[in-house]
Amino acid sequence: MPVLGRRAALTLAAGALAAPAVARADAARVLRFVPQANLSSLDAVAGTQYVVRNAAAMVWETLYGVDASFTPRPQMCEGHEASADFRTWTFRLRPGLRWHDGERVTSRDVVASLQRWMVRDTMGQVIRGRLDALEAIDDRSVRFRLNKPFSKMLFALGKSNAPMALIMPERIARTDPFQLIGDYVGSGPMVFRKDEWVPGARAVFARFAGYQPRQEPGEWLAGGKRMNFERIEWQILPDPATAGAALQNGEVDWWETPIPDLVPLLRRNRDVVVDIADPLGNLGSLRMNHLFPPFSDVRARQALLMATSQSDYMEAVCGGDAALWQTTASFFTPGTALYTEDGGELLKGPRRYDAAKQLLAAAGYNGEKVILMVATDMAITKAEGDVTADMLGRIGMNVDYQALDWGTVGARRAKKDPPGKGGWHIFHTWHAGADCINPAPYTALDAGGDKAWFGWPNSPAVEDGIVAWYDAPDATAEKAAAAAINRAAFADVVYIPTGFFRQYQAWRRDVAGIARAPFPVFWGVRKG
Amino acid sequence: MIWRYAGRRILATIPVMGFVALFVFSLLYFAPGDPAAIIAGDQASAEDIVRIRASLGLDRPFIVRFGEWLWQVLHGDLGTSIFANLPVAHMIGQRVEPTLSLMVLTLLFAVAVAVPLGVLAAARAGSWIDRVIMLFAVLGFSVPVFVVGYLLAWVFALQLDWLPVQGYVPLARGVLPWLRNLVMPVIALGAIYIALIARITRAAMLEVLGQDYIRTARAKGLGSLPVLFLHALKNASVPIVTVVGIGVALLIGGAVVTETVFAIPGIGRLVVDAILRRDYPVIQGVTLLFSVVYVLVNLAVDLLYSVLDPRIRQ
Amino acid sequence: MIRWARRNPGIAAGGLLLVLIVLIAILAPLMFTVDPTALAPARRTRPPSAQHWFGTDMLGRDVYSRVIYGSRVSLIVGFAVALLSSVFGLAIGVLAGFVRWLDEVVMRAMDGLMSIPPILLAIALMALTRGSVQNVIIAITIAEVPRVGRLVRGVVLSLRELPYVEAAIAAGTRTPRLVWRHILPNTLAPLIVQASYICASAMITEAILSFIGAGTPPIVPSWGNIMAEGRALWQVKPFIVFFPAAALSITVLAVNLLGDGLRDALDPRLAKRL
Repeated sequence: MPVLGRRAALTLAAGALAAPAVARADAARVLRFVPQANLSSLDAVAGTQYVVRNAAAMVWETLYGVDASFTPRPQMCEGHEASADFRTWTFRLRPGLRWHDGERVTSRDVVASLQRWMVRDTMGQVIRGRLDALEAIDDRSVRFRLNKPFSKMLFALGKSNAPMALIMPERIARTDPFQLIGDYVGSGPMVFRKDEWVPGARAVFARFAGYQPRQEPGEWLAGGKRMNFERIEWQILPDPATAGAALQNGEVDWWETPIPDLVPLLRRNRDVVVDIADPLGNLGSLRMNHLFPPFSDVRARQALLMATSQSDYMEAVCGGDAALWQTTASFFTPGTALYTEDGGELLKGPRRYDAAKQLLAAAGYNGEKVILMVATDMAITKAEGDVTADMLGRIGMNVDYQALDWGTVGARRAKKDPPGKGGWHIFHTWHAGADCINPAPYTALDAGGDKAWFGWPNSPAVEDGIVAWYDAPDATAEKAAAAAINRAAFADVVYIPTGFFRQYQAWRRDVAGIARAPFPVFWGVRKG
Repeated sequence: MIWRYAGRRILATIPVMGFVALFVFSLLYFAPGDPAAIIAGDQASAEDIVRIRASLGLDRPFIVRFGEWLWQVLHGDLGTSIFANLPVAHMIGQRVEPTLSLMVLTLLFAVAVAVPLGVLAAARAGSWIDRVIMLFAVLGFSVPVFVVGYLLAWVFALQLDWLPVQGYVPLARGVLPWLRNLVMPVIALGAIYIALIARITRAAMLEVLGQDYIRTARAKGLGSLPVLFLHALKNASVPIVTVVGIGVALLIGGAVVTETVFAIPGIGRLVVDAILRRDYPVIQGVTLLFSVVYVLVNLAVDLLYSVLDPRIRQ
Repeated sequence: MIRWARRNPGIAAGGLLLVLIVLIAILAPLMFTVDPTALAPARRTRPPSAQHWFGTDMLGRDVYSRVIYGSRVSLIVGFAVALLSSVFGLAIGVLAGFVRWLDEVVMRAMDGLMSIPPILLAIALMALTRGSVQNVIIAITIAEVPRVGRLVRGVVLSLRELPYVEAAIAAGTRTPRLVWRHILPNTLAPLIVQASYICASAMITEAILSFIGAGTPPIVPSWGNIMAEGRALWQVKPFIVFFPAAALSITVLAVNLLGDGLRDALDPRLAKRL
């Protein structure tokens, strides 16, 4: 024992002495990243925050994964077999998959994970509604048996928006789908270092030595996820001024969401590169409560549509940077397959405040208070809210501007109480363009009344369009369905798109390989 | 005698802490904003939120939750953060070092600067030196700490590139890097504290210098001036020590802002984040902790005071 | 007049400045201002010019008009908190000083409140309610009341020992009359001095609350809000932060100078101790 003790002590001492040298050599092996928001959990199945998804995508993987064209490619799978009627789907895991604790990934893990995911995800719920059985055939194979065809299975399993169909060890996947997981063992290229996690300040990911990337080049969630860093350190800097200064000073390597106003300054710095983060951008959203007057009357909603000046919103959100935004008379992401401006006339042309006033009067509006909830702790919602307050004033509405934080808005928007009794009339948010490419990941477009997203729009025409899209056999039919949805969504004013905008990302010049994507892609990035 | 006083004084802190505990708990019990809905996320239905509320125990009556919370606190368990799903005591533990470093360094720096300034102002009372020092003291009270912080960052980090703009390096990684990161926060936070201590020092010195025995000693030409001042300072130390204790509240309040400006991962930033997210257990834990620290510091100051000035025990 | 000003430079300078600021606040609409909340996103973040003396902010609002109107918020918060905490502090202090059985309970509660650092207490209170000028005033007042209460109680206790007060008590003078005749006049001087410091610190606390995002609603053009909104751009558009920061610092400075002057003039004994 004494001998062992002394040896252990010597080893420890040697390690301690060597540490500074190692630290220096490691500089190029550590990526310091400033995420868009604080990381409060890693559960991208039970939660839908973008920042959580971004972290989880390093730690866990999906059976399939979308590439830059949103085509699902095999990731954890070797491949799949689908029956001709799309009612039986069989998936086979590729060999060599291991969890971070060294155990093998098995089909039991897959079944448990998908069962948890199907409870929370919209597409998952569709599958669950058609499910006869989800079973493990052998150690590496699972099979879905459905009672109704489902052709969009691969997209559902490989899509990038949360809840993602992440595969977790069975013991973690058994967590109640409405509870956050507390164990972060995955099979992805990075291991989450729970011991170094300081919520609100930093999160650390270390390379998983046992990870075997696929042979193909990596692209978004598809292909070989080759990690060139031993560690990825997330530093949470909520103040954009601090984050910008830290990037200029070389204290961090990559800033996910630089605010547009700081971009000219960053561009002047020779050591910093600025680029569009995600060509698919975001759709701003003005969300009305369809349950209560005045906005229970479609004319009142149309009045707002007539008065909405997307350019005002976009100037406020993006600053003077015209390259970042465009007006768009569509509920779908500009530049993607289903994009259409069918039915969007009310958003175009000069704003008609007088006509809007008349329409409001016709809807029976008579100076009642309109509760506008504004999440002031986020630059985008704050800017949107300020513009809306101004617009409502112009069409003679009596605005009650309630400055809240995003957490409170998130809680209160779920209340169906009358606006005077704890409810609300209007709030703002935005949707990633990647989630507005088609109706499947697009919760905000759903117009099924009580079951729809907050605001509870009720438009049978929109619902018919969504069903038509799910059952569309080909691209032409999908486009026709989208056009019908867009017309109906404008006619009934499901919500008001406040414009399309992109965001920047910025990094130190010695970092290479950063992709344009709806989320930060860490594989393939290198430094020095 | 001194022990009886100390015993009484220590016992007196117990009801105070009890009141603080009740206040802190009830404050956040009645706070609006539903953490369950935030956890549930965008896709959740009203039923999901009810389920999450129940599983977090947010739907039970006040007295049950207060009793349970107090019992746990007395056992060193400050609860679990609703957002990070980690024990609050652990989260605070992770962040003690930066905050402690910031506060202790600020304290030392402020005393080291303010006491000589106050003595100097008192010695030259009425002169332009006195006026300039006192003007600075008033300014220290008048300029918000974040304005000082941004000004410093702009000059020393962005223009001169001498110091890092943000962050914290643990002491274990070397004294110099640790200090480099703390220089600006300490100066920014120290400004108001320096102003306070300098004023008190000057006032206390003037009072002592005005007392008969010093005047007599000076009139007789007894001893050199520095010796006299040292003597006077010793007597002036009582109010100075007191104000150092009271000023800890300023430090704690200032640390909340300073840590935000300089992105220091300390307890102050923890509480600001927690309030924005309605993370009740964290707010409760931190408020309670800071209050205990404040009470203990002032207890220590009071005891010190009573040693220095026995009259206070009455 | 000039001699008086020379003898009391603090009161003169601070008072003059404060009167000026109060005048500006009252006459804000006549100070060549425009609507401080009018948006013009197309004209955002313009540097100071003949048209926009202090430039425009992120939503194209006129910073000069916002700063001028912002003086109203800071002054209202400062004065209201000073007044309210004086009134409540006085009541609590007198009560504790006269009703012995209440003393212990009230003072322990005050000690409890005081042991929560004021900014932390105000932040926590603001988390309770939604941001409004009124709630900011209430939150800061709650944080300040115990300090005034203690001060008043101390004065009351020391006054009770004075021979003429003891005599009045012995003669059976009723308490309200006693308070009115003997206690209030003697409490006034330290109270006014204390109130001036509370006024200054309330203005700073309001700014800090807004800076952290727990203060007055952003739609209100308060100096704290203008700075909070402009702080993300302090590197590129420093003027948005500079003007409200300067205005706040000058106002607080004026109040502090006035407080120091009052202290020296009203209570020479206090002047030496503080």
